[in-house]
Formats: sequence, C-alpha cells, structure tokens
Amino acid sequence: MTKMLDQPAKDPFLFRECFLMTMPIGIKVGNLRELLHVIREVKESVLYYHLFQTRLAVSPPAVEYPNDFALWAGTALQEIALAEKLSSFDPLDYTNMGQVRQAIVDIIEEYLWETPFVPWARPGFELHCCEASTVVIRSKISAHNLREFCQALQGVGVDSIYYHFFEARWRLESPIDDFSYWIETNFDLPELVTAIRGIDIYFHNLKEIRQTLINLIQRHLGKFCGEPQ
Amino acid sequence: MANLSEYAPIVGDEVVSQLERLTEVVAPRRFVHINSTRYGGGVAEILNRAVPLLNQLGLETHWQVMEGDPFFFEITKAMHNALQGNKVYFSREMINHYLEVNRENARRCDWEADFVLVHDPQPAYMIEELRPRAKHWVWRCHIDVSRPSLQVWKFLRDIVRQYDASVFSMPQFAQSLPHPQYLIHPSIDPLSEKNRELTPGEIAAVLERLGIERDKPIVLQVSRFDAFKDPLGVIQAFRLVRRHTPCKLVLAGGEATDDPEGARLFAEVQEAAHGDPDIQVLLLPPDAHHDINALQRAADVIVQKSIREGFGLTVTEAMWKGKPVIGGAVGGIVLQLQDYVTGFLVHSPEGCAFRIRYLLHRPEMAKRMGQLAREFVRQHFLITRSLRDFLTLIILLDQPERRLIEF
Repeated sequence: MTKMLDQPAKDPFLFRECFLMTMPIGIKVGNLRELLHVIREVKESVLYYHLFQTRLAVSPPAVEYPNDFALWAGTALQEIALAEKLSSFDPLDYTNMGQVRQAIVDIIEEYLWETPFVPWARPGFELHCCEASTVVIRSKISAHNLREFCQALQGVGVDSIYYHFFEARWRLESPIDDFSYWIETNFDLPELVTAIRGIDIYFHNLKEIRQTLINLIQRHLGKFCGEPQ
Repeated sequence: MANLSEYAPIVGDEVVSQLERLTEVVAPRRFVHINSTRYGGGVAEILNRAVPLLNQLGLETHWQVMEGDPFFFEITKAMHNALQGNKVYFSREMINHYLEVNRENARRCDWEADFVLVHDPQPAYMIEELRPRAKHWVWRCHIDVSRPSLQVWKFLRDIVRQYDASVFSMPQFAQSLPHPQYLIHPSIDPLSEKNRELTPGEIAAVLERLGIERDKPIVLQVSRFDAFKDPLGVIQAFRLVRRHTPCKLVLAGGEATDDPEGARLFAEVQEAAHGDPDIQVLLLPPDAHHDINALQRAADVIVQKSIREGFGLTVTEAMWKGKPVIGGAVGGIVLQLQDYVTGFLVHSPEGCAFRIRYLLHRPEMAKRMGQLAREFVRQHFLITRSLRDFLTLIILLDQPERRLIEF
C-alpha cells in the first residue's frame, strides 16, 4: 500500500479555495405562507445560498438540519414535521434549480394544505433571504500522488473541502465529488472511491467531512499519512 | 503587536496561509478605514488590531479617526439611538453641524486610496468631499438598523446612496439601497489583552484590586452604560435569582469618547444598585482590557441582556473564554447563541433570571455549552475571518455585478 501512496497520478489534483461573501437581499420571511411565496419568486442564487452556500457562511457547531429552510422550519416556526420533510429532500436529486424550487414548493404547499393555521415565527426569528458572491482562487496546493493528497487535505481550508466535495456535485451536474472523481480516474482503488461516495454530506460539518476523508484514505491505504483519529 | 504567524496555533496554519494567498490576489492596493474614535467600543477595538495585521499581510492600510466637538458627538449619539429605533428630534442646527464637522474632517485628509471603508454614521458624509480620492467607497454599518427612525434613516440613506456598497453585521439590518449589500460579522482578536489566556494569578490579582471576592458565584455583564444594554433589567433579573440561589452581580462598563450619555445611565445604575452588597458596579477606563478579560474568566455566568444590539462582541468574547452566555434575543446575539448548544436567548428579566438559575445549578451543562461556544467562535468570529472578508470584498468590488469571480 505504501507503493500506492506514492504512485504518481496522471493528472495532479489542484486544490481551489472558495471565499464567500453573503449578500442580504432585504427580504424577510415571517410565516410559512410568505416562505412559499418567496421560494416561488426569488432568484435561483437565493435558493442556492440557503440550500448549499450556507455551509460556508455561519453554520452552528452541531449540524442538525441540512439546509436553512429546514432549520428555520424547525427552530423558528417550531414545525418539526415540516423540518423533517425539508431535511429529507435532497436538492442533488434534481438536475436544475427550477426542479429544486418546484420540489420545495410542493413540500410547503402540501404542508400548508394539511395545517389548520399558518405557522409564524416570533419577532427576531424571521428568515432573512440572502445570496452570495464568491471568489475562487487556485490555492497553489496540489497533489501528485495520494500521500500528497492526504497531506494537502489537512493543509487546505474548509472552504476547499466545500468547493470540491459539496459544491462540485451541483457545479458539475453530477452527484460525484471532485475528490473521488480524481481517485477514480487516476488510481485503481474502487473500494476507496465507493467509500468516499458513501459519506452522507448532510450530517457532517466541513471539518468533520475533512477528517472523515482522511480517515477513509488511511483505512484503505495504511497509516502513512498520519494516524487516523 | 501580534505577528500574523502567532495566530496559526489558534486558527490553524491553513487559515493564515490562506490569508497570504488571498493578499497576493488583492495587493498592491491602498486601503483606508475611517471611524470616529480610536479607543472604546467594538469598532475601535477591531481596527486597532486589524489595521496592523493588514499592513503585515502586505496591504497598505491607513486608519483615519475623525475629530469632533462634544455637540457633534451628542448629535451622532442621538443619530445612533434613532437608527436603533428611538424617536429623536433632529433640528436643522444639528444636521448642519453634523455636515460641517464632516466637511472639516474631509479637508484634513491627504490620502488617496483604492478602497475606503467608512464605519458607522459619524463620518459617513465625508464621501461628499472625498469621493474622487478613492476608487471604491463602502459604508460599514455596525449598528442594529433593523427598525430605524424614518427621519434619520431618510437623511442617512441619501448619503449612503453615494457609496459603492454597504456592509452590515446581520442580514436583518439590510436596507433598500441602490448598491450591493454584504455581510461581515464582527470579530475578536484572541491575542489582544482583552482575550489572551490569563494565569489564575493574573485573574486573582485583578479581582483583588477591584475588590471582588469570590465567595459566591459571579454573574457578569460587561457593556457600556447604555439603555440598549439594559443594565437595569440585569439588576432586576439578578434579584430574582438571588431569591433562590446565592450569587453576586458585577456590572462592568467602559467609556467611549463618542458616547455622552454613558455618565447619566451609570448614575441610574448606581442608584438602582445602591445599598446592595452583592452588586458591584464598575466604571472602567476604555483601556481596561486586561481587567475585563480577568472578570470574564472569573465569572460563572455571563449575561448580555441587550434590547438592541448590532452584533454583541462581548458575547463573542465570553464565548471565546468558554463561558455559558445568556443574551437578549436581538441582533447578532441570535446568531451566536443557540439554546442549549452555545448559550441561551432570553426575552425578559424573568427569562434571564430563569436561565441564570439553570446554569448555576447545572455546572456540567454550563461547561459543555462553553466548550461548544469557544469552537463556534474559533471557526467564525476571530479576527482572521474579518481580514479574509475585507480582502474578499476588495476583490468583489472590482466586478460587483458578478456572483462568481475565478482566478
């Protein structure tokens, strides 16, 4: 396995870094009917922020709900059943944001239909809609083999993990992350590829995802890039 | 002054090297900050630390502090209160004086820049005179402007419209403006005198000097003596707690040169606490960072019962020290404190008393919440994050209409 760690890749992995600035758009949602209206009307970049980019903005230390809509339904509206539905829905099951929008609309519409009142948030707990602008730069950190890859994973910021492991699935319109794609196309390690693709991205924060990746590589290739935690 | 490399053991090597890489994309550019006070208050604290660090990174950064007479600061304090929702009357004389002091300060400027960040309303009008001196002007609002008084906001809005962008601390403060609005959360410096690690001996020495005995659990609120920080509500909450649990309350507040109301409220608080041996009210000088650090580390529970708050850096400071914090459910405190995870949000003196009692009786829960709070701050609210946001903003303003810029 040591040999595999040092086997040169056909193409090096070039890590990119992703610097995100949240941009509030001045729209405030105070109840579920307003949320339905806003989700129908806002730009796709707003939906994208609240479903994906929120990971890079301020996320609580313990990930309970995978997107802002579910989090808001659970904590501000205290509608746990709706939060469960919005948590189980996976935007990566859809090929474009129009379909994602319709899927969220369907969930909320159905919930409102069955609820005898419109759930409200207490003042101060409204959902404030945002979008984001992003700067992506080449980090100058690259990996020419798996040993370097493993070390680089520990040296890049969590935004790099977000960019390659989370956002890549939407950017490339394929449910595959950049890391497993690189390993698949450069090394003969199908089990490791399958294991990486088996990580449930919705239940880890970015630091945990980084550690899970490192642990998986070490488990498959031995402890040559440090002890697994 | 701390060297950038000293932050690596706290935030991680990768965070520091990332700042260096980002600066390579940004530099060479000249960056100017303008605000209204060099000492006291969260803005001055951030700038005192961030400006030297930006220069160390290689970005030529200059900090200008505007000057004003007492009448000017009375006007801007009233403006501050009005922007946070108070009804305040502005006479023509007040408005004219505000504009004139801004013009005078503008005339004293001799810099040219690529990027200017103007903090809060006090120096906002300087853009009128100085617009050609810099390529990009950004207004940085640190105040809770979620429900501003309309008269004052209309006046300020006409000034702010001239800027290329605005930056707010929380999304709920965003306004209807004809330019991009961004979000930057304020931050604290883990190596500053206010936040660095202290030895038990250092903490004990401060308590002895301030005359605070550790014979009972300490409940602490650190904030300016300002009605929006509700120190009288904290005293009310404390008295409700003490009916059940012995403890003492320390209210410690600094002074800022741009806050003329502080003395009046301090007197009111002293009056409310008069004759109560378990309440200590401390008026600390603006540079009492070491004392505040020691008080926060000595406290068992820290309170920030604000009824309006831009962000609440005292909450961040307390969380960084691994303390359980109880905060008013307003402004940026809502973002920082998550019930049972990183602290408690409360809506009344009664709620505040209830949560103080909970934490005093559940020290293991208080410890766990404090640890989670510290990690949360490490990830999101340390000064390295603000440096990164400043640098990113400079890049974005070159092409503000684009949502993705790749290098």
